[in-house]
Amino acid sequence: MAVDDSPVTRKMLKKALEPEGFIIVAEAGNGRDAVAAYAQANPDVITMDVTMPIMDGLEAAAAIKKLNPSQKIIMLSAMGDKDIVAEAQSLGITDFCTKPFKPDEIIGKILKVLAEG
Amino acid sequence: MSSTTYIVPFIKAVASVFKDMLGIVVTKGEPVDEGEEFGSQGFAVIVGFTGGWRGRFFLDMPPTAALRLASILTGEEYASPTEEEVLLSAAEIGNVVCGNAVTAVNDAYPGLNIRLTPPSVFVGDGFSMFNVRLSSYSVLMQTEAGPIKINVAVEEGKR
Repeated sequence: MAVDDSPVTRKMLKKALEPEGFIIVAEAGNGRDAVAAYAQANPDVITMDVTMPIMDGLEAAAAIKKLNPSQKIIMLSAMGDKDIVAEAQSLGITDFCTKPFKPDEIIGKILKVLAEG
Repeated sequence: MSSTTYIVPFIKAVASVFKDMLGIVVTKGEPVDEGEEFGSQGFAVIVGFTGGWRGRFFLDMPPTAALRLASILTGEEYASPTEEEVLLSAAEIGNVVCGNAVTAVNDAYPGLNIRLTPPSVFVGDGFSMFNVRLSSYSVLMQTEAGPIKINVAVEEGKR
């Protein structure tokens, strides 16, 4: 599941992931829509932007973690300062990837969190 | 801090993001003295920030450069700078540049806690913007896509 307010980033994720056999089961452009779509999408992994309108990615991640504490979430953000990373870690976020991302990097992180089970 | 100091992390972020995200090398940067006015080359992304620094960042370029950057990013061709994907691509590039710059500032000065606002894009011939109560600084950089001008206006806010 890809959550990012930039449709271009969601498109780039699709371009990187689909040829590798991943299926993006749902997309959302803000945190509120992500939380609303989450239960039905039932994703293995979520890539989540931080800065988004309506509800940011950290709030959305917290809400999803409440619904399913074992949900794998990778934050994917242009903002990756120590405070944001620490806040993400306190929410139990699985990994953090800073934009601009390289396809190999995000694929590697997704495979890693999937392998961790 | 002086306005020249404020712009340094943004210059570094443009160089690194353009290289990593677009494969474009920034070859030269020189300061532009514009006083309180900012003159656009026709296509500008603006990203605001709040927190320990308050202000905004402009990523400005000619429309031809915006078309080129969008094509590199998405792998598609565009005819007009007002096509949605051109606007969205430029907005994301501006957002990533500003995010990387602000991350470096936040890590260098703990407690600033600067956060971004979503980007906006302006397109039009020869428009200018004026800074009210904010001093700003511009740098013009050369790239294979065309000249890229950045402008940063900052005032120190509450920590």
